[in-house]
Amino acid sequence: MTVLVGYLPNPLGEATLRAGVEEARRRSEPLLVLNMSRDDVLVDARRAGVDDLARVERDVSELGVDVEVVQVEEGSDPADVIVGEASARGASVVVIGLRHRTAVGKLIMGSVAQRILLDARCPVLAVKEEVA
Amino acid sequence: MSTEATTAPEGTTPSGAGPLGRVRDRAQLGLCAALALAGVVVVVDASRLGEVTSSNDPVGPRAMPFLVGGALVVVAVLYALDVLRGGVGEAEAGEDVELGHRADWRTVGLLGGAFALNAVLIEPLGWVISGSLLFFLSAFALGNRHHVRGLAIGIALALGTFYAFAIGLGVNLPAGILQGIL
Amino acid sequence: MDNVNALLGGFADVITPMNLLIALLGVTVGTAVGVLPGIGPAMTVALLLPITYGLPVEQSLILFGGIFYGGMYGGSTTSILLNTPGESASVVTALEGNKMAKAGRAAQALATSAIGSFVAGTIATAAIVFVMPQVVDFAVTLGPPEFLAIILVAFVGTAAILGSSRVRGFAALLVGLALGLVGTDFVTGQQRLTFGSPFLADNIDVVVVAVGIFAVGEALWVAAHLRRKAGTVIPVGRPWMSKEDWGRSWKPWLRGTALGFPFGAIPAGGAEIPTFLSYLTERKLTKHPEEFGKGAIEGVAGPEAANNASAAGTMVPLLALGLPTNATAAIIIAAFMSYGIEPGPLLLTKEPDLVWMLVASLFIGNFFLLVLNLPLAPAWAKLLRIPRPYLYAGILFFASMGAYAVNAQPFDLFLLLGLGALGFAMRRFGLPVLPLIVGAILGPLVERKARQALQLTGGDASGLVGGPVAWVCYAFIVAVLVWPLVSRLRRGRGGDDDPPAGGDGENPSPEVELARATTTEGRAS
Repeated sequence: MTVLVGYLPNPLGEATLRAGVEEARRRSEPLLVLNMSRDDVLVDARRAGVDDLARVERDVSELGVDVEVVQVEEGSDPADVIVGEASARGASVVVIGLRHRTAVGKLIMGSVAQRILLDARCPVLAVKEEVA
Repeated sequence: MSTEATTAPEGTTPSGAGPLGRVRDRAQLGLCAALALAGVVVVVDASRLGEVTSSNDPVGPRAMPFLVGGALVVVAVLYALDVLRGGVGEAEAGEDVELGHRADWRTVGLLGGAFALNAVLIEPLGWVISGSLLFFLSAFALGNRHHVRGLAIGIALALGTFYAFAIGLGVNLPAGILQGIL
Repeated sequence: MDNVNALLGGFADVITPMNLLIALLGVTVGTAVGVLPGIGPAMTVALLLPITYGLPVEQSLILFGGIFYGGMYGGSTTSILLNTPGESASVVTALEGNKMAKAGRAAQALATSAIGSFVAGTIATAAIVFVMPQVVDFAVTLGPPEFLAIILVAFVGTAAILGSSRVRGFAALLVGLALGLVGTDFVTGQQRLTFGSPFLADNIDVVVVAVGIFAVGEALWVAAHLRRKAGTVIPVGRPWMSKEDWGRSWKPWLRGTALGFPFGAIPAGGAEIPTFLSYLTERKLTKHPEEFGKGAIEGVAGPEAANNASAAGTMVPLLALGLPTNATAAIIIAAFMSYGIEPGPLLLTKEPDLVWMLVASLFIGNFFLLVLNLPLAPAWAKLLRIPRPYLYAGILFFASMGAYAVNAQPFDLFLLLGLGALGFAMRRFGLPVLPLIVGAILGPLVERKARQALQLTGGDASGLVGGPVAWVCYAFIVAVLVWPLVSRLRRGRGGDDDPPAGGDGENPSPEVELARATTTEGRAS
């Protein structure tokens, strides 16, 4: 069993990560930090740099949590990748960030968070942007 | 750099190689042949033109094609010599192009198909339908898997362009079977 | 001060709400396509040409001028933030600009490039006002033989100088000339290369050629080699510069302008050489040589100014002689012709209002660009997140719409696909695209001029070589063609990799390599 965190290189992502670390400690489970970027765009704001991921790994290890950092760069659907990885690793909980979206934004782009909430087979912990 | 040429980038040929060194990227010779053929076609086509010259037009319609066709053949030969001496044209790079691996012919074929389908359907079905299909199928060929979104964008684009350009600016776009509805 | 008065008249014509709106639209679209991967200003103008047939000629020219200038600005944004220059002329900007961005100075890099582009664009556009009429005064004294010679210089220039391989440049030029032959001969009415098809009898529309080669060819080429990974974009705030940055930027801006404008103005000058020269100059003159290669602001300011000044410079041969020296200018020539306006030395005499309005709109567009780009740079960077499938599907969509709209014939769509395949093959084999377009546009013109020249002399071939200007031109052509052979003989047997009909002979130093990379990448934009 493991705690899966969907990590993004922004304040919301850091808040998500903190919640994931707490969750991993509480459950005494290892932490899996997943950063997903789409392969069908020229740049993806979700993509974390190598330095970023190294820092995450170092910081979380220093907190005494068993951590693995994974970067996925294939596929065009972050929700699919996170849900798939969660069931493949047998995650006990998925921690994601929840961004505020306008009604129109939801309609046009859909919501990655919403898909994860609906499709994941395990509990999902959603960290809200206001908290970050 | 082209697919074959990546294994032998420029400068790897031993400097001792003779003037007729190793041919890199043989497909280039096919292009030379095509150029020469085009030159011959231009010349043959021109030679069947009537030689109409007059005081108004002392040159006639044949001179230019003869010149262009002949030059095409000459350039094809020079090009072939360049290739035989190991010359390689650098395939075009770009910000969204990755030349490391083989060309993805499946995608290109699907795009060509979508394009041809649009050409066939544009008059009977009209631009709104054929254009939506073109966008949807092209996006699919390029790896889009959000089918509903792809189709929705396609329809929105086709409708938008039809109203803005055909109706707004008077551009020639056929309404097809939707004539009267749009 | 006739020019200035005429220009003021042009301003008066441009400053109507509708025209200003169109200028704004042009620079916005231009910046957007400059930022977007895979779309350049030439492709955009080609795609928009058919759908602007409904607009008055003045407004479509304002639109195209805006796109032309806007594309330059947008291209520098991507080279700084991503290190993937969209325009060939931005390659040099990426050298220092991307390093600056990585060092956390993206805002300053964007600012110096935007303000430098504005300064250079304004000075160079002002230079058009004074230089262009002089060139016209000279050009109207030329007869058909001289004019023919000048066009031939443009041919040889685009084919032999701009590319990395002469033989490939000439192959592209000749294919373009052959495409220009298709159709009905304008004097005798005979069908050439139509193969009995009534669709071809009416000539292949230049718009279809341009859209096929630029848009469809490019989309197919990218589709075959699609990058399958996202890059990291460097986050930026609003561009700004400190006092020190201003102090280090203004001289490079002016030097870049001085280098860029003349290169743009001569046939076959292009933007690649001046941007590169400007980079070298700044590297030599800088007080901070240690920063070069690590993000020196001079290395962004100079080349960006050179780039924009050269873009403005291309307007001189375009408006004064009807000669296109880059791809976008070639399409604008096609636009003139599609409105039944013959570009050439008589343009300024016949359509003075149109020309001055276009120049005035360039000033205004340049100002809009500064206003649009300084605060909005972060927003433009968001455009890079459009999924590739939609982007390239969109290009094909607009390409087929435009090509169909030209003649309302489905046949043109098949022709477009064939030309797209040709464009694909050219990119695959490293044939430059610009000579083909120039050949297809100017080929029919050359034939007509040559036949007119011979008509005047009653068929005597000496009618083709009259006048000192023509002699200078032919001497230039011979020099360009013969020079590589001479230098080869002088140096004995050079490297085996050089194409026999030319190419750059010397052992490539890093700089030459860079210049070469610049020119090869220049073909698409």
